[in-house]
Amino acid sequence: MIVFRDVSLVYPNGVHALTDIVLSVARGEFLFLVGSSGQGKSSLLRCINREVRPTEGEVTVEGQSLAHLRNGDIPFLRRKVGVVFQDFKLLHQKTVWENVAYALQVTGASSRDVLRRVPRQLELVGIAHKSKMFPHELSGGEQQRTAIARSLVNNPLILLCDEPTGNLDPETSSEIMALLARINAKGTTMIVATHNQAIVDRMRRRVVRLVNGRITRDEERGRYHVGLG
Amino acid sequence: MLDWGRVHFFWAEVGQNFTRNIAMTLTAIGTIAISVVLLGVFLFLRSSFDAVMQNLVGQVAIAVYLRDDVKPAAISAMVQSLKADQRVDSVRFINKKSAMANLRKRLRGQMNLNVINTNPLPNTIIVHTKLPADVPLLAQELQHRPGVDVVNYGSGVTEKLLRTEAVFSAVGVGVIALLLIATSLIMFNTIRLTVFARQREIRIMQLVGATGWAVRWPFVFEGMLSGLVGATVGLLALSSGYRSLVPKLAINVPFIPFSVSAIPLHHLALELLAVGVLVGMLSSLLSVGRYLQTA
Repeated sequence: MIVFRDVSLVYPNGVHALTDIVLSVARGEFLFLVGSSGQGKSSLLRCINREVRPTEGEVTVEGQSLAHLRNGDIPFLRRKVGVVFQDFKLLHQKTVWENVAYALQVTGASSRDVLRRVPRQLELVGIAHKSKMFPHELSGGEQQRTAIARSLVNNPLILLCDEPTGNLDPETSSEIMALLARINAKGTTMIVATHNQAIVDRMRRRVVRLVNGRITRDEERGRYHVGLG
Repeated sequence: MLDWGRVHFFWAEVGQNFTRNIAMTLTAIGTIAISVVLLGVFLFLRSSFDAVMQNLVGQVAIAVYLRDDVKPAAISAMVQSLKADQRVDSVRFINKKSAMANLRKRLRGQMNLNVINTNPLPNTIIVHTKLPADVPLLAQELQHRPGVDVVNYGSGVTEKLLRTEAVFSAVGVGVIALLLIATSLIMFNTIRLTVFARQREIRIMQLVGATGWAVRWPFVFEGMLSGLVGATVGLLALSSGYRSLVPKLAINVPFIPFSVSAIPLHHLALELLAVGVLVGMLSSLLSVGRYLQTA
């Protein structure tokens, strides 16, 4: 479970990214964060994996407060919280297989674990047949599938997706969202920040809208815009 | 049990990163090599200069001229007491007969020695100290011993020589320290650039949950490797320069002992290698540390 209690975030340059955020996300929930650019969606996600520390209030993840988390404990939090980005953030000099294995190898997994878990994730996201290819040899959708496999390989409880379909065509976007829904169905909590109105409207999941760093709407089975259809 | 897969992953990462950004790696290696050459040339020059100074200072001795009425037993006692002195390296007694014989030998053919009917030369004790700096004080002490007529140690000249040596030694240490700092800063900045080029990778490692040390280690080993290769290249350049230049210098500037045996070259090489590896390692460690700072 993720809980935000009166969280505010002001960046060192004085920008107020989040103001008085109160939010609970249950384990296994699927939540869309919507709002135009610069409204605080990415900042909210960055509070959950402790890329930033709120200036006020408290965030807890699975009962653990992140306020007093020591720097040495952050990597272990991040193994529970996978992240998927709009620009995929793959390592270009590594193959699909190596990119996914990398997440395990840098966390000290045994080579037996790597050999066991990587193929499984590649199968799950439907990219196993391209495991020897490099990112530049893949389509955008395939690169995003690789990034999703990498974020899942450590079996995270939560997956944060920051505009995961931002660089993809509508058809590929639908495929990626279907994949995320499947992953969520297996129990992974999913928070997806997106501009993609069509997808939000079609999936009818919980929708939280951010405007100027404040939550202006929190709706079960919501749509992108209120009062439509 | 040792997991060879993990060992292989680690070294493959180090090797891959080392060779992937080849232009950057070569820049770092080149900078380190040039720094090592600069440092090596200065250390070599300083060692040579030290050898010259040591040679000059080592020649400083105290000549104790005794009065003619001092009994052989008293002379022997004085020689024994000097030999027992902690500061003294060697003591040599020259009696007035052999002093005269030496003089005659030296002046033979240059002047008519028959005009010298008496022996004006005194009995003399020549004292070498272990440390040249002890010469003036010991000379003063000897001046007050019974039976001593005159003590000569090149007063004035010796002090100047000792002062000059001390000044040059201090300046040498200062210049080496400055050179070491300057070369370390250049090496540090070059390695920092190689780390800077891989910020994105560091961020990805952090996001997937790598601990600080899991991120640092490959960089630290790459830094050490750059330092080692750079220092080795620098040493090879130094060594070939040394072999081709020193024999010519030895002929043209004969009063300075430019020779392989005068300077502990293997020490110099080890020190330069150690500097290269250490600075490479520390530079990587500090540079990565900057990007690892979390919220």
